[in-house]
Amino acid sequence: MPVLKADFGACQGYANCVAGAPDAYDIDDDGTVVLLKERIGAEDLPRLQEAARSCPVSALTIEDA
Amino acid sequence: MDDHADVFEDVRRGMIPAHIYNDQEIFELEKERLFSRAWMFVAHESEIPQPGDYVVRRVLDDSFIVARDEQGSVHAHFNMCLHRGMQVCRAEMGNASHFRCPYHGWSYRNDGRIVGLPFHQDAYGGEAGFRRKGQRLLPAPRLDSYNGLVFVSMDPEAPALRDYLGDFTFYLDYYTRQSPSGIELRGPQRWRVKANWKIGAENFAGDMYHTPQTHTSVVEIGLFREPKAEKRKDGCTYWAGRGGGTTYKLPPGSLEERLRYVGYPDEMIERMKRSWSAEQLRVVGQDGFMISAASAFPNLSLVHNWPRVADSEAVLPFISLRQWQPVGRDETEVLSWFAVDAEAPEEFKKLSYKAYLMCFGSTGMFEQDDVENWVSLTNTAAGSMARRLRLNSRMGILADDTEVVPALTPEQFAGPGTARTGYGEYNQRAMLNEWADHLAAPARSATATHVGGPVPEPSRDPNTVVNGA
Repeated sequence: MPVLKADFGACQGYANCVAGAPDAYDIDDDGTVVLLKERIGAEDLPRLQEAARSCPVSALTIEDA
Repeated sequence: MDDHADVFEDVRRGMIPAHIYNDQEIFELEKERLFSRAWMFVAHESEIPQPGDYVVRRVLDDSFIVARDEQGSVHAHFNMCLHRGMQVCRAEMGNASHFRCPYHGWSYRNDGRIVGLPFHQDAYGGEAGFRRKGQRLLPAPRLDSYNGLVFVSMDPEAPALRDYLGDFTFYLDYYTRQSPSGIELRGPQRWRVKANWKIGAENFAGDMYHTPQTHTSVVEIGLFREPKAEKRKDGCTYWAGRGGGTTYKLPPGSLEERLRYVGYPDEMIERMKRSWSAEQLRVVGQDGFMISAASAFPNLSLVHNWPRVADSEAVLPFISLRQWQPVGRDETEVLSWFAVDAEAPEEFKKLSYKAYLMCFGSTGMFEQDDVENWVSLTNTAAGSMARRLRLNSRMGILADDTEVVPALTPEQFAGPGTARTGYGEYNQRAMLNEWADHLAAPARSATATHVGGPVPEPSRDPNTVVNGA
């Protein structure tokens, strides 16, 4: 099952991911990404991959658990 | 800039200085004192039914994102990024959970709250340098709705929309609440005409006198059977609260027969009977008047007509909403929507849409007739001779201000406000008196929002309100 990962130090708060997948990503009050879920279904993978890849500083990845 | 007191005095006597239809100083005054205060229509809720749906609409020079947020609430936010002032949303309509500024990538949720602020820590030192928490796109000072019609006002002190519209809501219901589900819209078609915005607003408010002349050809080809001169003076005009309009007199008959006469099927008539008050039903069923064109001050107009849509005697009613959006002293952007009862049968909606497009919208025959006049009028009002002319807009009253024809009594007309049959320019005068009242009253200075930064000393800027402080 694919797992969402974030490099919280790299995140610069662009929020492109939030626009792409508001059900999976958010930005907290400090401007850092929050993962709203970790494990995702295969049917969500293409959409979440696109959201993760939209990060301008490559802080988001999706790994195979 | 002088205070134009003499202009307003002339207007209140029903004598219209012709230059007000093409005058830069007057237009500046309208922006400062009228459009800064009045409630202005921006959208109908049916245009943005789902969470994330939005339309971008202007109020003169200001662009607003009118969006339904994830919780279903409707907002209108000034379409300008809090950072460098770039337009945040550049599409005209769509569905989005967020809006991202194309310049530096700041982003906002569809309820206006900021979500993305790249390099907040590195660039500003985090919250210490820029208070990000609580920041949101600048909301319209006021937002309110009636029957799903969404209005904004630039004046935080504006009266409630319902109070502003006053008894005009009685008539607005005929157009926008024919069933409990209200209306749904198609459009808008949007185009510009080289005409002053007031001309169309006045025309829709009460100009039944132009119909037999301007729209002769429409009658000749049999598209519309009503606008014959003698028919128009039998109808009445009414003014109530901040709006007014024209009506046609219906042939004798019951409520049902009269609604059938303008083309409504029985199932729609049944819903009207459940949706309108006893007085609203009486105006049609007993008094025998059917609403036609109308304007709500300053620049929202409505129309309800019942043309023939095929080579038969059958007619079909349509409803249209429009906004006269001022672009300049001599240019107006028209936004024209088709409106129909959401519960109407599909076949009715289809034919009603066809009826609308034949009459109004960028290709409509009434539209073409009208605009030719209004462009010409605007041109003619630009020169020095127009400044010497006070147009007589006193139709319906004698030199001593008594009426040519007395107003209808409550027994003759059950609607609120004042209604009169016969030819008259009562409504155009009411419209321009309201206009003069707005323009004569000095505007308050607006408060400034200082986005997340230091605030000037109160002594320097007493009007300041700080966002997010």
